Amino acid sequence: MKPVLKPKLIWSILVALILFIPLVAGSYVISVMCFIAVFGGLAVGMGLLMEQAGLFSLAHPTWFGLGAYVSGIVAVRGIAPPWLGSIIGAVFVGFVSYIVGAPLLRLRGYYLACATFGLLLIVEISLAQLGSLTGGHEGLMGIPPLALGAFVFETDVHYYYLSWALCLATLWFLHNLMGSRIGRAIKAFSGSEVAAKSMGINVTRYKLKVFILTAVMASLAGSVYTFYLRFTQPGIFGFPLLVELVTMIIIGGGKTIYGPLLGAFVVMWMRELIHMYLGGLLPRMTGEVDAIFFGVLIIVILIFMPGGLAGWAGRLFEERRKVLGEASQG
Amino acid sequence: MERRPKDNILLDVRGLIKHFGGIKAVDRVTFAIEEGSIISVIGPNGAGKSTVINVVSGIYAPDGGEVHFQGENITGVPAHEIASKGIGRTFQLEELFGSLSVLENVMVGCHTRSRSDVLACGFSLPSARSEEKRVRDEAMECLKEVGLEQRAHDPVSSLPLGERKLVGIARALSMKPKLLMLDEPAGGRASHEVERLIHLIYALRDQGITLFIVEHNMPFVMSLSERVIVLDEGCKIAEGTPDEVRTSKDVIEAYLGEEVY
Repeated sequence: MKPVLKPKLIWSILVALILFIPLVAGSYVISVMCFIAVFGGLAVGMGLLMEQAGLFSLAHPTWFGLGAYVSGIVAVRGIAPPWLGSIIGAVFVGFVSYIVGAPLLRLRGYYLACATFGLLLIVEISLAQLGSLTGGHEGLMGIPPLALGAFVFETDVHYYYLSWALCLATLWFLHNLMGSRIGRAIKAFSGSEVAAKSMGINVTRYKLKVFILTAVMASLAGSVYTFYLRFTQPGIFGFPLLVELVTMIIIGGGKTIYGPLLGAFVVMWMRELIHMYLGGLLPRMTGEVDAIFFGVLIIVILIFMPGGLAGWAGRLFEERRKVLGEASQG
Repeated sequence: MERRPKDNILLDVRGLIKHFGGIKAVDRVTFAIEEGSIISVIGPNGAGKSTVINVVSGIYAPDGGEVHFQGENITGVPAHEIASKGIGRTFQLEELFGSLSVLENVMVGCHTRSRSDVLACGFSLPSARSEEKRVRDEAMECLKEVGLEQRAHDPVSSLPLGERKLVGIARALSMKPKLLMLDEPAGGRASHEVERLIHLIYALRDQGITLFIVEHNMPFVMSLSERVIVLDEGCKIAEGTPDEVRTSKDVIEAYLGEEVY
């Protein structure tokens, strides 16, 4: 007897569900799902960088924000159509992450975290201060919607499909990558840098590659986000988003590719539920309740499911397979 | 630098120096390894044996002297480039990649002989897929060579020490090295495992791989090696056939009363 649930089948069901949701759900659900796709995709890249490549970089909100701003500014000023603005943003972020990554990736562990956190603060403050270019604290207004030829992305449903297409493409690409020679090289240097070098892996170059790749993916997510909201503000890309992403990664589990997306789903729906039910009960304190709830949840997850929900699910699946395997042998 | 008259010299180490702070870990060590031979380095703890391997493989840059491989000066060349020139190695503490399976660990060794880039791998292009299959088969061959094909899909952490060392050897073999440097391959092994290891090393030599072995286990070294180099406190104090080394006065002195088999 073989296990009934196969990974491919699970994935097909999930993709079918995602395609199906807008047909039945209202605009509220669609909008939340849209943000899950954007932030989930972002968390997937950051989780890969932190947990699989062992690079403790906190600059992910920065790449997301720079992508959002560059594509927004390009579109607002009419320099190029929005879709081209997204690509310009991605190229710009690729370039900046190269310039920043080449020196910073020599740092290890918490030193890299400190340096990239500094970058996050610098970019956030610069976006707020460069008023004539970015709109300053008030934010960038009047961003036109994304359009491809004659098709204009206007409704929530349009952005729902766009954001999920990008999110699933990110997931698929990174899944393939981590199963290939490149992924093995990445896991190798995070396991033992000397051994990886002695196997002929140019560790410095691979660190930079994975850093730039995830930064560019974050930038594309930022562009989708900014065209969906048609507005962007420096405060969105600061410390709160960083905490949000780390929460998603810890709850979902960063050792797998899909874990952080699962984390994004759980975190964002739980937050909606808290706001819905506690909003009436404690009208002035939903923010605090939210923070305390996720704080406690992170501690509980770290103690009882150190691999996050994905790690826990993976173990269950493995045990089930073992039991079934023994049953079929016996 | 003029080339040596003998052209079957594979590795040529001249006046190698490596300091750690005030400690001379390796002090003006000179030796040469002929192609197809089995050479061992012995010496008491802290004699600088592992440091020699670390400098030759490029993990440490030397403070003096030169390393030539196949007539080419590789002194100070980055480790990953030295590896791709055909120098494979294992580690005293295995240094396996914990998040990968046994087979995947060995597949990492094929890295320099595969080409697919980030886009080909990420989009899973046919070229990347066929290369992946080739690499998988080659890695499996290397695992068979060391007798671990049954363990291919286990996590490396589930293996006992002796088998972990064999994974390290298979991983180095998958690089198709000309020179294989083994850092204490017999350490922590039972005697029947050492027997198996000796057969493996002869088999590798017969395939044309040159072996450079750092080891504590004297009977193992003496039965296997064609030449033995003895280090003490970073200096080479003797070199010769096992018989010559065994009777050398300096060597007996270095081991101070310890009987040299």
